[in-house]
Amino acid sequence: MVSPAIALAFLPLLLTMIIRYRYYFVLLYRAVLIRWVRDCLTGLSREERAFQYILTHATPGDAQSILDTFDHWCSKVEFISHIGPKKGKILDRLLQEHCPITVLELGTHCGYSTVRIARSLPIGARIYSVEMDERNAQVAEKIIRLAGFDEDMVELIVRPSDEVIPRLREDFGVERLDLVFMDHWKRCYLPDLQLLEGSGLLGEGSIILADNVIFPGAPNFLRHARRSGLYEVRVHRATLEYIRGIRDGMAELTFLGIK
Amino acid sequence: MPRHKLIASESDVSIEVDVGKDNEFSLYYVEVEENSQGGQEKQTTRDGKRRRERNGEVSRRRASEKRTTEVDTKRAEKKHEKRHKTARKEGEKHEKRQRRKNADEEEAEEESNKEKKNIKNERTKTLRRDDEKEKDVKKKRKKHVKNEEDNANSGKTKQKDCHDMPLKEKKKKRKKPETTSESESKSESDSAPESKDNQAVGVLGSLTPEELEKLKEAVDERKKLIATMRGKPWPMKKKLVVLRESQEFVEKYEGALGKGKGRKLYAYKVMIMKKWMKFQRDFENFKTACIPWEMKIKEIESHFGSSVASYFIFLRWMYGINMILFGLTFGLVMVPEALMGKPYGSIPRKTVPREEEASAMNFAILWDFGGYAKYSVLFYGYYNSQRAIGWLKFRLPLSYFLVGVGTVAYSYMVVIRTMARNANEEGGGDDTSFNFSWKTFTSWDYLIGNPETADNKFASITTSFKEAIVEEQESRKDDNIHLTRFLRVLANFLVLCCLAGSGYLIYFVVRRSQKFALLGLENYGWWERNEVNMVMSLLGMFCPMLFDVISTLENYHPRVALQWQLGRIFALFLGNLYTFIIALMDAIQLKRAEEEIVKKNMTIWQANLYNGTVPDNSTAPPITVHPADIPRGPCWETMVGQEFVRLIISDTMTTYITLLIGDFLRAVLVRFLNNCWCWDLEYGFPSYSEFDVSGNVLGLIFNQGMIWMGAFYAPCLPALNLLRLHVSMYLQCWAVMCCNVPQERVFKASGSNNFYMAMLLVILFLSTLPAIYTIVSIPPSFDCGPFSGKTRMFDVIQETLESDFPAWFGKMFSYASNPGLVLPFLLLLVLAIYYLQSTSKTYKRVNMELKKKLQTQNEENKKKNKLAALKAANELEQARKAGEQRSSSASDLGVNEESSSIDEAGHHRQAGQNGRFIHPSQSQHTQNSEPPVSSTHTTTRPPASRGHTSSGHLPGHPQQPQKNSHSNRR
Repeated sequence: MVSPAIALAFLPLLLTMIIRYRYYFVLLYRAVLIRWVRDCLTGLSREERAFQYILTHATPGDAQSILDTFDHWCSKVEFISHIGPKKGKILDRLLQEHCPITVLELGTHCGYSTVRIARSLPIGARIYSVEMDERNAQVAEKIIRLAGFDEDMVELIVRPSDEVIPRLREDFGVERLDLVFMDHWKRCYLPDLQLLEGSGLLGEGSIILADNVIFPGAPNFLRHARRSGLYEVRVHRATLEYIRGIRDGMAELTFLGIK
Repeated sequence: MPRHKLIASESDVSIEVDVGKDNEFSLYYVEVEENSQGGQEKQTTRDGKRRRERNGEVSRRRASEKRTTEVDTKRAEKKHEKRHKTARKEGEKHEKRQRRKNADEEEAEEESNKEKKNIKNERTKTLRRDDEKEKDVKKKRKKHVKNEEDNANSGKTKQKDCHDMPLKEKKKKRKKPETTSESESKSESDSAPESKDNQAVGVLGSLTPEELEKLKEAVDERKKLIATMRGKPWPMKKKLVVLRESQEFVEKYEGALGKGKGRKLYAYKVMIMKKWMKFQRDFENFKTACIPWEMKIKEIESHFGSSVASYFIFLRWMYGINMILFGLTFGLVMVPEALMGKPYGSIPRKTVPREEEASAMNFAILWDFGGYAKYSVLFYGYYNSQRAIGWLKFRLPLSYFLVGVGTVAYSYMVVIRTMARNANEEGGGDDTSFNFSWKTFTSWDYLIGNPETADNKFASITTSFKEAIVEEQESRKDDNIHLTRFLRVLANFLVLCCLAGSGYLIYFVVRRSQKFALLGLENYGWWERNEVNMVMSLLGMFCPMLFDVISTLENYHPRVALQWQLGRIFALFLGNLYTFIIALMDAIQLKRAEEEIVKKNMTIWQANLYNGTVPDNSTAPPITVHPADIPRGPCWETMVGQEFVRLIISDTMTTYITLLIGDFLRAVLVRFLNNCWCWDLEYGFPSYSEFDVSGNVLGLIFNQGMIWMGAFYAPCLPALNLLRLHVSMYLQCWAVMCCNVPQERVFKASGSNNFYMAMLLVILFLSTLPAIYTIVSIPPSFDCGPFSGKTRMFDVIQETLESDFPAWFGKMFSYASNPGLVLPFLLLLVLAIYYLQSTSKTYKRVNMELKKKLQTQNEENKKKNKLAALKAANELEQARKAGEQRSSSASDLGVNEESSSIDEAGHHRQAGQNGRFIHPSQSQHTQNSEPPVSSTHTTTRPPASRGHTSSGHLPGHPQQPQKNSHSNRR
């Protein structure tokens, strides 16, 4: 039988673990436990709850207000993995620098990043936003309309991304993508990137921005991007949205063109 | 033209031979090719060479053209020449192609190649023959070719040299770096056609003094090139190529430079010198290779930065010390006893007692250092108290004592010496004064050779810059200091709590184990028996992790943080160790009480024995009891030694198991589970482990402390430690390279070495304390060990003095040890220390003052320079204004221009001055050619036109006004 003294000797280890990985515990609590409890209590999905909150708290037609309300809800009430305000600033800066005309967004979720992109796009630009989940897409559509963007600006496609990308040219008449924003399943980053490469929609100077490449992380995606030689890779280091202590990053890939 | 002469020298060496058949010429080509392919094997670099060759060819062609225009004045011939050249080029091209093919072919096919080439060359030759008809100079050229070909047969190398040299020379004169880097083999093959171009100047004869001079110059130039290679702004590849070639060149021609008879001797001397230098270099390399684990450590250093490497260097140093300790104990204690002492089984202390005999060979018992291991040279109890053993009359007890004292004394000496040496290196600079300059110029760790680590280092430097800037700002603001202070105090409080907790836990466990020991350990399981060791190891493993987490609160610089961390772990380990020692002391008291009882029982037992045997007393030496049956004391010394050995073993095991599980298994899991996990394991949560410098260093230090403490009672300890260090060197090197990642904040560990040493010294002191206490205050066991039967262990010295030394020596010693002499001596020692310390303090102060002086001087110089620059700038401004005025006035008034033209006519220098105004680059030349420009100004220029701007400097030349102003000032 193990004596209590030996068990007590493991106490420092336990404390160390708890202190060192406290942010992960917080994340676990906020993203999983609270969500589960609320789901059981309200019977609504998380996204619908977020929409309700926004409907009651934000000013319709004001993109900034909607984004702020989102941030507030995500940091104070519940947790949804959006791009967040800090990484959003990087996105804004990129948009201002490059002024893309055609944007593809993979993973709309609640439409936070769609609104964020749409508000800083030039007139005549177009976003194709891809979302797989039906319910999320409904919420996203509502939020996008609430923010005041119409179908000409934002085209919401409710299909899995790997089906959409090869058909972008035929179905939507896209010739070239200036910016691709990836924030869907991290495992799909690499296959989708390869699909994009194959489709020929990327031109020289096209930018692919991938969120959450460090946490939860997309190592294969990064490895491919670095080794293929097709891209100029920059990783913007930041922290995970709404939680300070977890490091995360956004990968900015500039397509150099196929030689 | 020097070029011609050198080209002439090419033909000098060639021997005059009659004109032969044409295909001999082609044969030469093939010969050369054989050289270039078979001999030199530069196939990998062939492509680059070819490119270079092409460059060189172009430039060469250009040069040769020029030459022909210079030498051959006939116009009509030029066309032919050109045609011929293109033909030759074609031939060369063919040849090149051929060579490319040849690269793969066997030499057996050489014959056929030759013939093929003959055909090809035939074509070029027919063209050439046309030329020949027109000109007999051409014939001469051909003769040349033939000569060379003949040479190729007779003295190939010599000829090669001759061809190379002029070629190179030419190239250098042209100052074209690409051409200098042209390879030897190619130039060889090119040299034949080259010679044809040069035939116009082809003069026969021996090396004239001028040519020798030229050669010498060339060699010197090469040497200079080699010396200044480092500073050249060339790419590394080119540098290497140029360096190799220049070295070859120098090697070849240096020998030829001697005068007359001494030439050979000189060449010989140079050769010997070269060989000697090479040998020296190789020997240095060999010496480096002889340093154990040097390459391993360097590799680690390049991957992980110097802080991790410093641990391994420390480990190696420790290994060296243990080697000597092991040598002492093994050579002077263990081996003599094993060889010359009484054999096993002769006396009770050298025999396993009867009740243990059955289990004495069990592995579990042996692993615990009981049974046969206990009754062997490995432990104190085995040694006999016989004063001199063997035919050598080896005084074993004395040797035992002196080795025990000597190891400690040696350790003190080494540690202190190393500390002093390190202290010299530090130099005592104050870090605070030029924080940013230090950071800018010294923050890079030049030993890093791994891109990933370099990235980390880069990132850490940038962050440290950011932090330093923020710190600087904050130190000016100085508002957040309270929070930081509070956090630091809090962190220390937490650490203290943790220490107290761990101390109490160990105390509790030790108490419990004593209880178990009283009740008899046999009734308890493995867990209970090993509880103390387990708890100590676990606490020693986990508490540092907790400290590490806590220390993030404090926000120190990593170097400072490392020292704090080290200090805390030190305190923890020290607490653990001393708890252990206190427990051990208790155990010693118990054993001694037991010993008293055994002593009493012994007399009873003996009495019984005699009483029992009294009846059959008639047989004279009757009492032959087997030594295993004789009752014996518990021998606390062996017990202490055993405890230490067990501790070392369990410690080592824990370290290795932690390494395997914590590092290796984790790395394997992270690596292979990463492909099928929902987040990135490598970057995210578990990640790979970092190498824990502080923990490892302290583990090493405490391990050493235990060795010092226990080595007196268990002579096997240094050997065990040596084994452990050896294994851990390889194991940890492997583990670091295989499963650790470089630290996120790589920092230099230049200062921490002495910190380790200081800790080692403290540990040495603290570990010798209990050892000395036991030696001095506790009487040795009555029936085991080399000091049995004495009241104190150090009595062995007195005994030796009395019996082995002459009487006067003992007397002198007793006088010397008289307190009346010792006290003044101690006083003197203290005074000397005090004196030395105060002088060193004075020196330090003087140093600081000197530094300050230097600083102020620097500042003064800076001020002066600034003033001078200001003055110069003013003058420049004025000059510009004046120049503008002048130019405007010159353009407006023709009269002024006339006057200046008159001036020009009058003075030659004036032209230079005016030219300077027009064209700055020209002006420089004039300035260079005529140094005393400024002095001539005043005389040549009409003073009225310029007035104040006596020094006619330019807008584009700021140096000159400065120079002038300097000269004015002085």
